[in-house]
Amino acid sequence: MPPPNDPFYAGLGQAVRIGTELLAALIVGGGLGWAADTYLLKSGTWGLVIGLVIGAAAGIRNAMRLAQRWDKSG
Amino acid sequence: MEESPLHPFELHNYIPINLFGLDISINKAVIMMWVVVGLVTFLLIRAATSRRMVPTKLQSLAELFVGFIRDMILDTMGKDGMKFFPFVATLFIFILFCNLLGLIPGTYTVTSQIVVTAAFSIFVYTMSIVVGFVLHGVKFLGILVPPGTPGWLLPLMMPIELVSQLARPLSLAVRLFANMTAGHTILGVLFGLTITGGLLIGWLPFVFTIAMNGLEVGIAFIQAYIFTILTCVYLGDAFHLHGAEGHAH
Repeated sequence: MPPPNDPFYAGLGQAVRIGTELLAALIVGGGLGWAADTYLLKSGTWGLVIGLVIGAAAGIRNAMRLAQRWDKSG
Repeated sequence: MEESPLHPFELHNYIPINLFGLDISINKAVIMMWVVVGLVTFLLIRAATSRRMVPTKLQSLAELFVGFIRDMILDTMGKDGMKFFPFVATLFIFILFCNLLGLIPGTYTVTSQIVVTAAFSIFVYTMSIVVGFVLHGVKFLGILVPPGTPGWLLPLMMPIELVSQLARPLSLAVRLFANMTAGHTILGVLFGLTITGGLLIGWLPFVFTIAMNGLEVGIAFIQAYIFTILTCVYLGDAFHLHGAEGHAH
């Protein structure tokens, strides 16, 4: 399996992974906040705001976790 | 004859089938999946039946695959993870062949449909949750509490961890879908430029089409690899609650 062992492709793979990780967490956080606003609390936009902040934090946490894994594998 | 570069992704039903209000029509994507399953089964059975000491080309390729997937599982899940070898190997080889066969002009890339990738990722994620609860019981909820968190931070950390967990299936599905769709759209646009450019300047985008095709083969491998290794990582997290993170700190 040459490509994943090739340093260029391995680096590309890791870079692509982090980008999606940040985005996905932001979407999930914002989505949950928006859903809470619209269906549960009828609280204007506060749910969306808080959800986005939590989503951003979760995305960075996921990216951090991935980065820790590379250190181990070298 | 302006045509959207996203046009090739549209699916048209060849044989419309409706089963109790459920649309299970046969379209290009379904046929491609059958082709992939048939091809993989044929190749692997051919590779496995010879079983020579000095392997044939096909056999050594299959052995390379098996060794690669085994190393991946051992790295992320440890010895216990080998129970999942058949599942992980099937997933990897299926996605890889879907990606690679889709690069042949005229065929269809099944993994450029988010329905397909989302079905995979939701299945994988649900499985990791079920495995976690079966192995650890209620203690598996501890996955929401990172080790070493001071008590007063818990109300903040729990929602963050919950969102970061829920983001996993989404990022898994979107990553594969987006990479495949984007790659093929670029190829489509470049090839469109070749045709409109004519002989004078059209050769330039054509050269780029060929170069991009080479890159896309690499991307096909990488995306199949990332999808499978993250499957292993998620299953591994369910196996060893905080085990991997304990080492990292």
